[in-house]
This record gives sequence, C-alpha cells and structure tokens, in this order.
Amino acid sequence: MAAVRRYDILDTPPDGAYDRVAALAARLFEVPVATVTIVDEDRIWFKATHGLEGVTEIGRDPGLCASAVLTDDTTVIPDTLLDPVACSNPLVAGPMGVRFYAAAPIITADGYRLGTVNVLDTRPREISEADSATLADLAAVVRDQLELRLSALRVVRAEQERRKVEQDKRQAEEEARQRAERDKAAIAAFASTLQRTLVPPALPAVPGLELACHYKTASPQEVGGDFYDVFPVGGGRWAFFLGDVCGKGAEAASVTSLTRYTLRAAALVDAEPTAALKALNAALLLDAAVGTRFCTAVFGLLDPARDGGFTVTLATGGHPPAYHLSPIEGGGVRVEAVRAKGGMLVGAFAEAAFASRTLHLAPGQGLLLYTDGLTEARTADGRMLADTGLIDFLTQRPAPVSAGCLIDDTVALLDTLPDTERDDVALLALSVPTPDAAPAGITTTAHSAAAPTADTSVGQENQRP
Amino acid sequence: MTDAFHIDVPHTDGTLAVIALSGEFDIATASAVRARALELIANGHPDLVADLAGVTFCDSSGLGALVGIWRCAKDVDGSLTLAAIPDRLGRLLSVTGMDTFLPVYPSADAALAARQGNRTTA
Repeated sequence: MAAVRRYDILDTPPDGAYDRVAALAARLFEVPVATVTIVDEDRIWFKATHGLEGVTEIGRDPGLCASAVLTDDTTVIPDTLLDPVACSNPLVAGPMGVRFYAAAPIITADGYRLGTVNVLDTRPREISEADSATLADLAAVVRDQLELRLSALRVVRAEQERRKVEQDKRQAEEEARQRAERDKAAIAAFASTLQRTLVPPALPAVPGLELACHYKTASPQEVGGDFYDVFPVGGGRWAFFLGDVCGKGAEAASVTSLTRYTLRAAALVDAEPTAALKALNAALLLDAAVGTRFCTAVFGLLDPARDGGFTVTLATGGHPPAYHLSPIEGGGVRVEAVRAKGGMLVGAFAEAAFASRTLHLAPGQGLLLYTDGLTEARTADGRMLADTGLIDFLTQRPAPVSAGCLIDDTVALLDTLPDTERDDVALLALSVPTPDAAPAGITTTAHSAAAPTADTSVGQENQRP
Repeated sequence: MTDAFHIDVPHTDGTLAVIALSGEFDIATASAVRARALELIANGHPDLVADLAGVTFCDSSGLGALVGIWRCAKDVDGSLTLAAIPDRLGRLLSVTGMDTFLPVYPSADAALAARQGNRTTA
C-alpha cells in the first residue's frame, strides 16, 4: 500500500496514456471491457476503463482483480462460473455477468504489485500463452508510465522544495543583511562622533606656516590610537604634537583623549617640549590602569624667526624620528631624521627621560611627522616601507617643500601599497612657504573644510600678511 | 597566522620562569601573553625570561604587552629579560628607549646563564 501511495496515483483524473492501454487491451483481445485498476486497502480503483462507463471503483471482493493482484503471474479465468472463487464475485454474479477474466499485475521495479490490467468478456473463452504475455506487456507499459510519472513528480517536488529552501534562505539573508546594515550604520555613526572628539576638527591657521594632515583609522568602526594637534601657546608661539597610543580600540581611544588634553594643558603651564612629555608621562603613570597605557609621541614648539621661518624645538618620547626636508641648491631635497637622543616611551616608566633638539625651519623647508602606520606599511613585495623607503620617497620629491603637496603625495604613496588597512595612520606636515611662492594678500586656503572622519586629509595654508 | 600562535613555559626554577612565544605577537595575541605572564608572576615566578625566538611578527601591541609585564614583575621585585628578539622588536626597543630597562640576550640559554652568573656573584 505504501507503494501505491508513493506513486500517488489513486483518484487522479483520467489520463490519456492509461485510457489508451485499456482501449488497446480491448482491441487486442477483442473483448467488450478492459480496465487498468489500482488496488487500494479497501477498494479497487479504476484508473482507466474501456467499455465500462460510469464505474470508478468496486469493492475488494475476491476472485477477480483482488486475487489477480496477489500473484506475480498473469491470471486467466476462461469461464468464471467454473471457478470456485470467481463465481461468487459481484461482477460475475451480478448484472454484468462476466464470464471471462484475464489480468496481469502491475509490478514496480522493486517488486510491489500496485494493481492490474484486466480484460473481461461476457462469454467464456480461452487465450493463448502469447496473449497472456501481451497482457503482461501491457501491465509493464502501465508500470513504466507510472514510473515516468513518479520521477516527473519527484523532480517537480524537489524543484519546489529547492525553490522554497532558496527563497527562505534569501529571505533570511536579506533580513540578516538589513540588520547588519542597521547595526553597522549605528556603530559607524557612533565611532565617527567619538572620533570627532578625539581628532581636532581642523588645523588652525598659523601665520607664516602651511599645515596639512592626514588621519585614517584601520576601519571606520575602529577608533584610532593615533593623534595630533596644533595649538597656540601664547607669545606668538605654537605647539604641535603627534603620537600613537599602543593598542587599539576603546581602551586606546581613552588614552588618546587623556594624552591630547594633558599635552595641551601641560604646554600652557610650560611649553618646553620635554616638560610637556614629562607631564604626560606622570599623568599616564598616575592612571588607575597603570602599566597598560602608554604612547609614543613627538612634541614640538614653534617660535617665529626673523627670516620668516621658525625655530623648532622637537622632543621625542619613543616615537620614530620626524623628517626635516630642506631643498638643496641646484635641485633635490635633503632629508634629515630629527632624533633626540634618549627619548623614551611615554607612560611606561617613572624614570623615563626625554630629550629635545632644536632646528631651524627656513622658508622652502618642511617637517613631516608620522605614525608607524606609514613606515610599517607593506610594499607590494611584502616588505615594510621602513625608514629607508620613506627617506627614498622624500628625497625624490621636488623642492620647495609644501606641506599640502607633501601630505597629498604621501597619501598617494600609501594608496599604492597593497595592505595599508592593518594600522591607523596619522601624518602631520609643516612647511614655511617661500616669499615668492604665494602672492601677497592670500591669508588662508583650506584644502578641505571637512571634519576628519575615517579617511580625510585636511590642509591649510597661511601666509603672514 | 594568529591561530599558529603559541605560549609555552618550557622551564621554571624557583622564582624564575621562561615564557616562550611563537607566531605573531600583535594586537590579537598580546593580551593572552600578558595574562599568562601575570599568572606566572602571581604563582611565584616574578623573574621572567621571554624567549621570542619563535616570534615571526611583533608590533607596538606586543611591545605594549612586554612593558605591562615588566611593570607587574617590577612591582613584586621581579624582572623581565628578553631573549632572541626579532630585529623589528629590537628597533622598537631602541626607538622607545626601552632597551635601557629591559636586558636583551641572544638566546634563552644565554639569558639563563647570565642570571645564574648574577646569582652566584650576589
């Protein structure tokens, strides 16, 4: 019965193929009635009939179909009245008066008998062995038809199932994507708000100095550990710093904030760069999370000089050296690393010492400060850009040095490197324009007025009036 | 390859413990190193030798973990000695001035021998 259910054939509408089999059987055997039946638990259902109008099913009375379906061989009853079981079947004893009955079982490939192909006559008759083989063949045709129908059904059902699974999956993916988008947007908005509190919104206009910067976090979600600032300290002097908090994420960001405000406050008390770094060192060591919060930093003080340039006092706290770029007569640029001997990591050691150096930033010259996101960026061959790569790059740039161009070119260099996503990068460039470089009257030119977000370069050029 | 990162403690002797790292010592692994080292210090081994012979990459996060470990060791009169450090870490130590605080030896054996010498003379 499970096999009958599997083929899902019971009570299906008439189907040309089975009707043709019934008609063919009737014609071949020259009998008035031929049927294709499927045997159900309690009934015999007529899938196709020929010469038997209006009958769709009969009971499972023994003798004819109900018995024929129980054997693997073709059943032939030449005269039903002479058969002890068939003689009492309603089809025989009833108004139809069936006298001859032959049936071949419909047997599936795996041996289940589903029903029978039957031929019936109202007269007794004999059939040859060849005829009973023909009847068996017709049953096999029905079997093949059922198999075909089943496999088609299976394909259709599998396809429907697959479509449903796919549709469910697409719907789930779409929902997940929308949720992720919403979360991402919320996080990015939060991070960029937080970042604006950590990064100066714009560089100030410093008379006689061109300033430019670049700031990029490893990802928009990642609040950076890199920082910089430029601010006035009174008496026409300006201070600047750039640094890198060890570590990443929220912890680093809180140190970044503490560091920026400490350096600003310290410089107002004593603008001497080593004093500012010492104050920062003490502040970071006083913090409750002592030993986990430290940074490297460069702190500089700008004092206007008579030649239109600046005297720069530069202290370093464990930070890679700044580069002083000065045009050489006859073309080219000299690149000098500004190292102050003995500058240590800030916030790690109570005993830390800081040292400073003084240099003269003349018109046409520039100063580049950077975090290790630049020097540790990998080149296409997998090696770090390193100091040597940076020096080569800076040496080949044209003179005179302009902070804006220097940052633009350095960002362009970073963009050519394959894997700069890994680290934050902060760049700060200062340059003193030559008197002939900018026509008099221009006081401020902002390269961009946008607040630094995940990836923004901001620059300002100023000329002393 | 963060998944290839390993922390082993191949040797302990009294207050001393050797902590051997291999793989990338960076933001992803620094906190695990710090936690393991602090555990050693808490368990009576405040004199640590960090054997970095197997370290393939070390950035400022790794450096940060070493500073943190050094501070914690120092708080209990312990010490941190570095052995077989990668070139890049050497440059970082030099640029940050940390080489004045953290003794560096070419190998864990050399670090242990030097400690042994100190102890005998002391």
